[in-house]
Amino acid sequence: MRLTAKSTLADIALTVGARLQRHGITAVLTGGACVSVYTDGSYVSKDADYVLQGTIRQSDLDTALAALGFARRGDRYVHAVVPFYLEFPPGPLAIGTDIDIQPVEVTVAGGSALLLSPTDSCRDRLAAFYHWQDRQSLSLAVAIARHQAIDLAVIREWSRDEGSGAGYEEFLRELRRDRRANPPERRSRRAGPRKTTASREDTVVGRQHRRRIGLPPHRRR
Amino acid sequence: MVVKTLSSPFGGLVRTRTMIALRLLGSSFPRELSRVLVTPVSAVSRALAGLERDALVAGRLVGRTRVCTLNPAYFAKHQLDAYLSRLADADHELREQTDRLRRRPRRAGKPL
Repeated sequence: MRLTAKSTLADIALTVGARLQRHGITAVLTGGACVSVYTDGSYVSKDADYVLQGTIRQSDLDTALAALGFARRGDRYVHAVVPFYLEFPPGPLAIGTDIDIQPVEVTVAGGSALLLSPTDSCRDRLAAFYHWQDRQSLSLAVAIARHQAIDLAVIREWSRDEGSGAGYEEFLRELRRDRRANPPERRSRRAGPRKTTASREDTVVGRQHRRRIGLPPHRRR
Repeated sequence: MVVKTLSSPFGGLVRTRTMIALRLLGSSFPRELSRVLVTPVSAVSRALAGLERDALVAGRLVGRTRVCTLNPAYFAKHQLDAYLSRLADADHELREQTDRLRRRPRRAGKPL
């Protein structure tokens, strides 16, 4: 895929991830670009953050990214046309104190890319809310939950481990408020109550968006 | 040349003492750290920049001042806190400096 000035952050982030994979570099997309992917571009960050896995030589990274037109400037990679830059914050891949993170793989034109799951991306934003009282991060966590199925049980347990039970309650309040303001599609009575389990990770609201970012289609129950 | 009397497990003496100072103070800014560590602001700023790159320290702008803390979202935060507390026990000079620092509020207009 050719990157242009009109490419979205989500497209760029996933294309770069796929290119790195092709060069044998395992990089997991995290941070704001992940939010952009999961909220269908309703949030746009200025950069794409990847956490590299294993030992990577700087020259290999330079070569892989040069193929897409990115050049290293200081500790980031910039592009002559694309308005977003790339950064590689130090690992390990962690959300708060949790280092047992399983990224998801999505298929994009030209390969596959790794990124945080919707639940982990939501936790990633909540970590900023819990630790910095950053309310923008709270609203982004809610936005992810609006667009994607998330596992609330996992988030609740992790929040407790982070010592942020009160923060989680506030997240739930915001989530309920958001759902009242933006009610989800009407569900048939036969479908039963909504479940918030890991299996719901696969039931993303936006079907077209799912297809675009390479997630498997919505499963009918 | 100064004889090294303390270990510097965070890569350099200024980096290490900056970490210990942040553990003791909770949050601080380059000029305050410079006073506490008796080290030029430029050296403290350099140390902070490196520690931020390593995700050990997080900084944010409050007005025009960059306020820094130990990164609360660091994956080994609890262990790091415990380790820095132990290192602080051994750095008497730094403890004395931080103990002398007045940080409680002072009403506006109150004479010094």
